[in-house]
Amino acid sequence: MASEAVHAEHHAPPPNVDADVISRELVATTTGASGRFKAFAWIFGILGIVGIIALVLKWIDQGDDSTKWGYVAALVSFLLSVTGGAPMVAMAPVLAKANWVRPVTRLAAIFSFGGVVTVIMLIPLVSLLPPLVHEGAVRRTIWFQAPDYSPHVWSTIGLLLLLFTGIMLFYSAALPDFGHMRDHSTGWRQGLGRRLARGWVGSDSQWRTLRMRIGMFGTFYFLILVFVQFLITSDFGQSVVPGWRDAIFPMYHTISSFQAGVAGLVIALYFSRKYMKLEKYVHLDAFWSLGRLLFALTLLWVYFFYSSFIVFWYGRSANDVAFVELFIKGPMMYAFIVGVALIWFVPWWILIWNRVRRGTTGMVIGSFIILIGLLLDRIRIFVPAWSIPQDQIHSKWLKVIPDTYYPNVFDVLILIGGISLMISILMLMTRVIPVLSVWQVQEFNLLARPIRYIKGHATLVAKPD
Amino acid sequence: MTTETFGQRSWGMVVDVDKCIGCQACVIACQVENNIPLNTQDKVERARSISWIRVERYWEGDFPDTKARFIPIMCQHCGNAPCEPVCPVYATYHNAEGMNVQVYNRCVGTRYCANGCPYIVRFFNYWEPVWPESLRNHLNPDVTIRSRGIMEKCSFCVHRVRRTTRNARAEGREVLDGEVQTACSTACPTSALNFGDFNDPNSKVSKMKADQRHYTLLDQFATDPNVIYLAKIDADKKVGAGEAASHG
Amino acid sequence: MQQKRELDQVYTNRVLLNGQLDTPKWWAPTVATLGVVVVIGLIVIGVMINKGLGLTGLARPVYWGLFITTFVFWVGISHAGIMISAILRLTQAEWRRPVTRAAELLTVFSLLTALVFPLIHAGRPWRIAYWILPYDVARGIYPNIRSPLIMDPVAISTYLTGSTLFLYVALLPDLGNLRDRTRGWQHALYTVLALGWRGNPRQWKMQTVGGILLSALMLPIFVSVHSIVSWDFAVASAVEGWHSTIFAPYFVIGAVHSGVSAVVTMMALMRWLWKWDDFIRPEHFDALARLLIVVATGWLGFTFLELIFALYGQDAPEIALREMQMFQWPWNMLFIIFLFTAYLIPVPMWLFKRVRTNIALMFWTSILVNVGMWLERFLIIVPGLARRTPFVYTWEAYRPSAVEWTIFVWSFAWVTFLMLLFSRFFPLVPLFEQKESQVFTDDMTIGRAKVPAIVREAD
Repeated sequence: MASEAVHAEHHAPPPNVDADVISRELVATTTGASGRFKAFAWIFGILGIVGIIALVLKWIDQGDDSTKWGYVAALVSFLLSVTGGAPMVAMAPVLAKANWVRPVTRLAAIFSFGGVVTVIMLIPLVSLLPPLVHEGAVRRTIWFQAPDYSPHVWSTIGLLLLLFTGIMLFYSAALPDFGHMRDHSTGWRQGLGRRLARGWVGSDSQWRTLRMRIGMFGTFYFLILVFVQFLITSDFGQSVVPGWRDAIFPMYHTISSFQAGVAGLVIALYFSRKYMKLEKYVHLDAFWSLGRLLFALTLLWVYFFYSSFIVFWYGRSANDVAFVELFIKGPMMYAFIVGVALIWFVPWWILIWNRVRRGTTGMVIGSFIILIGLLLDRIRIFVPAWSIPQDQIHSKWLKVIPDTYYPNVFDVLILIGGISLMISILMLMTRVIPVLSVWQVQEFNLLARPIRYIKGHATLVAKPD
Repeated sequence: MTTETFGQRSWGMVVDVDKCIGCQACVIACQVENNIPLNTQDKVERARSISWIRVERYWEGDFPDTKARFIPIMCQHCGNAPCEPVCPVYATYHNAEGMNVQVYNRCVGTRYCANGCPYIVRFFNYWEPVWPESLRNHLNPDVTIRSRGIMEKCSFCVHRVRRTTRNARAEGREVLDGEVQTACSTACPTSALNFGDFNDPNSKVSKMKADQRHYTLLDQFATDPNVIYLAKIDADKKVGAGEAASHG
Repeated sequence: MQQKRELDQVYTNRVLLNGQLDTPKWWAPTVATLGVVVVIGLIVIGVMINKGLGLTGLARPVYWGLFITTFVFWVGISHAGIMISAILRLTQAEWRRPVTRAAELLTVFSLLTALVFPLIHAGRPWRIAYWILPYDVARGIYPNIRSPLIMDPVAISTYLTGSTLFLYVALLPDLGNLRDRTRGWQHALYTVLALGWRGNPRQWKMQTVGGILLSALMLPIFVSVHSIVSWDFAVASAVEGWHSTIFAPYFVIGAVHSGVSAVVTMMALMRWLWKWDDFIRPEHFDALARLLIVVATGWLGFTFLELIFALYGQDAPEIALREMQMFQWPWNMLFIIFLFTAYLIPVPMWLFKRVRTNIALMFWTSILVNVGMWLERFLIIVPGLARRTPFVYTWEAYRPSAVEWTIFVWSFAWVTFLMLLFSRFFPLVPLFEQKESQVFTDDMTIGRAKVPAIVREAD
């Protein structure tokens, strides 16, 4: 199609790449980490440990005052967004049988392991979350009659279930690659591959089971992700602000989490491709498609934000005015302005250019900006929400807007530490499994074939059912 | 004495629910004063009757302790009116004297303003109004007759306000407190309805507003109404927000 | 999914142009009947404008009823076009090809119909027609752009303009084809409309790029039109059940659900009426049904969220409204019908491939969906109005009058009439897309399997 005339990149690896060569080269990426990689892994790891220590210290020092934990809540939301949203990119296009997604599926699935940090950060929040029942009355909640242990138990179970499903999604797609590691690695990796491959030989029935499992876990993951986002945003966000009733907030959080996931994926892909020398297998086509997706999600962010904003702005009832004051015009005005600029306005003008989306530098810069903007956006929402004193959160309307709560040293260390710990987990995972999905790359090798088309060249891509 | 200028007043009403006996003289007076179309039986049955001021009656308690509660409700002329931003043709807006005005010749009848009003005080003309020959002579020449397709509501008898302020300006003086009276406040036998200027600290309504019984209807909508209600005093209950307030 | 069918150009031309070159026998009587219904409806509209809105069932406090419900319904149906032709074009899904023109056409005509309703539901339509335009600025009288009722016509007319342009750009190659095959007045008509189409590479390139650009530009409009329509309701804090932040995406996804179902209905009719069995095949219905399952389930999720957060605030009036909507007569009956027709009957059926490829079943389930979606709009708009605020004094029922129902039926007759009229002069299945698919698809042998394949740009 002439529409593809704007494309100037390969859609397939060069023809006649032997499947065995693909396997060997990709498995080799798990070993041979450069000195720079090791240094960064150490740095992020240490920062992560420092963050955990700061968390414990904060718990000892301020563990009785929930108004000081807004930044930790924002961090939980941020980590949930990035680590929860990224595997969606692994799953959804696969179900739609898209080919551009093949290089990123493994990276996207690895993000689930970062969910461990989310669970760690959630623990103090769960204990600090006030109970739903206060003097006999149940405050506003999605749990209606507030059965016992809600919402604390449900939120924790939900997050653990998400972590579990994400790991299972990863594992079900990684099974053949463990087989490749069994065949081509040495040392402990080979033992790991042998144990986790569970007798993979690539027979017809094994492939069928594989696809069925991916489809099942993928769909299940999507449902759990949406449900967990709904739980966490309602219980740790809306429920602690009197008078805040916002039906779109869970979906707003979910959409911006997809945006964050794609942005995180772009960054991870950029660094993997550049420093593991994977240009042969990761073509700019992946960045092109991810760029379009990221652009669309950025626009969707502003759409969801505006949908909620316009209803409160026009409504002008007591609750509506309080919302605008609390999250936009009041204590968080500067965080709001900068956050909106970084999560929408600046990335929009970066990602809108074809040249940017066809390259890698602009994409990774845009993605970094989006992630910083997302962190600010989460701070903008969760810090004022948690700043409201506990004795007020059971009232019907928000009567007093809290002052801006600035982060103390613990908060800063926890923010840096939590994100660093997530990055270091991702880096460690790339030592355990090839960062590109070997079987997906091999499969595409089979499905795509260069042909002559009229007077030029084209690629014939098979679309099996 | 300074001359009356436009924009220095803030017209409002204080309704003393304790004094209201539910006689509906205000409703009749308003109908006559403002050329409101006749509310025939058919119209009332189809919930299309127009009464810019209505007296709502609620029954409380069981026999023999039943009580009737009356509350007159008219356009609250809200400072933060939900009907104003939604009119596509600017047929309703807030003037500088605190009144929510309806411009009949601009109105195209989308009825969006009526949807926004929580007090249900806006009315739509479904048919062309028709008066029998015998009643045509009593129509008030100061008030426009609205055709079909136009929204209407209580205007705080703006024609009386205009006439009085015009006369006062012509005479080079200010309008006196109590000189402007709406039709309903004139007709009320118990002085439950009081109209005046809230910007004048010595006016009757300003003094009444300071009563500890005061409340406004439907606070949760934060409409900032210019109609203040004074709660009913029950001999066997504490003074405070009355029954009508508990509906809001 | 796509089987490689050898349909040569001569055969394609003859079959897909049979509406223009060889009008079917059923066409004239059907159009005449519809025309009668259309005229009756127009007369009723005229009488209503002449006499007043008293002819409707509207009353305090239900100031918006059937007309606004039907307005939102038709705007919803119009979202099919962009969904199918723009989004599927940008994602290069092959199975869109027979459907694109019919979907775009449905968009244009349903938008035209939708625009009628805000006009006739106003008290003085002869003034609203020009007072929403900013022409009287010399006297300082502007329309109120803060009002969602001004944002509505802006959005809808933008969408209408864009869709018409889109339709026309996609129509050009087929107009050229028709010009070359006709004589007389028809030839003159197509010559003018074809704008000198020769089919050389430069023109093809411009046509394709134009289509892509329009697709991309229409996407934000597609999202914003129904969002703006939803904000008619969402910004009103006084009405229970309306003041919810989720309305915008909820309405959009409902519109896609309703619109794509309408396209399925249309496709089945097209296949049967013009005997296009070779071009509109079961696999197209299969693909559309799979899309519908995803969209419908997303829509159900949004419905659930809207309900949960309505009850979340524990506001007595809101809870009372939901109780009335779900448990009191006649709303409970309407609610059950709505749930079953919009989701609980069609979607579980569509999970089975045998249903998805059965065209009669797809036809009837898609009609069911639209019945349910119309009821959904009705249940959003009217109960909230009927049950507004704590003043029990002002609660009333709403009984739509015969005039309203007549105009409701008129809108369906009008859209169908326009579509049939169009089909007499222009092919409903794009010929060039069909021929393109023949050239761009092939079979590939991998191992022992023969797999359908698509040609893509390389280097």
